[in-house]
Amino acid sequence: MGVPVSQMWAVSSYVLKNRLQGRKHYPLVVMLEVLFRCNLACAGCGKVQYPAHVLKSQLTPEECFRAVEEAGAPIVNIPGGEPLLHPQIGEIVEGLIARGKYVYLCTNALLLKEKMHLFKPSKYFTFTIHLDGERDHHDFAVCREGTYDIAVDAMKEAIAKGFRVTTNSTLFDGADPVGVRRFFDTMMEMGVEGMMVSPGYSYDKAPDQSHFLGKERTRELFRQILSNRKKSWRFNATPLFFEYLMGERDYDCTPWGIPTYTIFGWQKPCYLLQDGYADTFKELIEETAWDEYGEKSGNPRCANCMVHCGFEPSAVNHTFGSLDGIVATVKGMLSTYPDAEALEMLKAPRTATGGDPLVQIAAKSATPAETVEATR
Amino acid sequence: MTTETENKHREASTRETLEGFVPELAGEEELRAALEQAFDYRGDVTLTLKGGEVLVGYLYDRRTGATLSTSLVRVLLKEGGRRNISYSEIAALAFTGRDTAAGKSWEAWVKKFEEKKAAGEKNIGLLPDEQE
Repeated sequence: MGVPVSQMWAVSSYVLKNRLQGRKHYPLVVMLEVLFRCNLACAGCGKVQYPAHVLKSQLTPEECFRAVEEAGAPIVNIPGGEPLLHPQIGEIVEGLIARGKYVYLCTNALLLKEKMHLFKPSKYFTFTIHLDGERDHHDFAVCREGTYDIAVDAMKEAIAKGFRVTTNSTLFDGADPVGVRRFFDTMMEMGVEGMMVSPGYSYDKAPDQSHFLGKERTRELFRQILSNRKKSWRFNATPLFFEYLMGERDYDCTPWGIPTYTIFGWQKPCYLLQDGYADTFKELIEETAWDEYGEKSGNPRCANCMVHCGFEPSAVNHTFGSLDGIVATVKGMLSTYPDAEALEMLKAPRTATGGDPLVQIAAKSATPAETVEATR
Repeated sequence: MTTETENKHREASTRETLEGFVPELAGEEELRAALEQAFDYRGDVTLTLKGGEVLVGYLYDRRTGATLSTSLVRVLLKEGGRRNISYSEIAALAFTGRDTAAGKSWEAWVKKFEEKKAAGEKNIGLLPDEQE
């Protein structure tokens, strides 16, 4: 199953409508952070370090509906924390679908089998499974062994039951591009609808501060991963965002493109930074000093950020903003991005540059040169 | 910012964690700086108001105006509910709650993993903090 035509139409017509109306600050996706508590304790995550009474707090269904209606975006992403821990998550998803929203529920899938009965397969609803790569890499990145197998088992069941299932992978320093490409093969064989990959963001509250990628290293890593693609790989991202990650084009951030609503309100300015909270979406848009964010602003916290939530909206704006953008997007959809140099880079021995590379903890015996052939 | 305030700011910033810290709020600059630190802190704080009321909770937002009376903090109270408190009402601040962002380094995870692996343990992992 691919992305339904109705969803593509809903997003395209929404973007075009906003552009024709001359609206500058409109959201593409709302991140609805229904709670902060989680059943994992990943070292790269800065979202879950709160006192117990904050972790026990959660958005009510009515608060969720009000926020989503106010923002008006056609797509709602429900991250966390772990949203399946929310006792009314079924009701929240059902209410959002009733409002015509396309809902992506982002989960580590540890509770997916247990909670799957709360949801119905629908073109409006997708489970987005957090998987950071192959088994050993994923388990080490999320700081718990066994999570990959539990997640994959649940994903297979969800796919068999007719649910839309996508993956979301966050890559940190030490990620093995050959392993990531093998991971893509595995996901496609499993029947996953599409994959998203994005570099991690260095949350200042994340316990792990040594494995976040700088921009040059990000471009190098993603060039190796996303060049010379197999035609069987399907991605849940715009081609121009991936070209940005590969270093083929440059964008600045669109921090209002994927705004975040939490128990504290609308987070200023984006999903990653917490400079305060607005009570309404209107207040968020009108009172945030947007020119203080993004690489061009000189804000040091934005200097190394290339994360999906800020740059995918920039890529979408490019697509719909000019003939050049439309042509580049269509070209990207048809291309496998051949790049002989990137292929050579894949064969090079991996070296540690940012601390202990995650992949060496449970390293496989095959060398990169041996394994790269399998991912071509 | 005065040198004295800078020194106090430096003292606070060089601490491994602000947990247990009770900043001196001698003047407006100190109060503003301390509340900025409280906003950045991932634990509960205790605010003593000039009227004698004591509030414990998570300070999740602050809005700064030209004067103390037009500036406010927003607190999710430990006992439930929310309060907006003007800077001008605050007599004392203490970082009383556990700093939930402290002491969980990547290195600590790698060390734990390697020790448990060497001991032959299975299903090694970090668990979320107990929700008291």
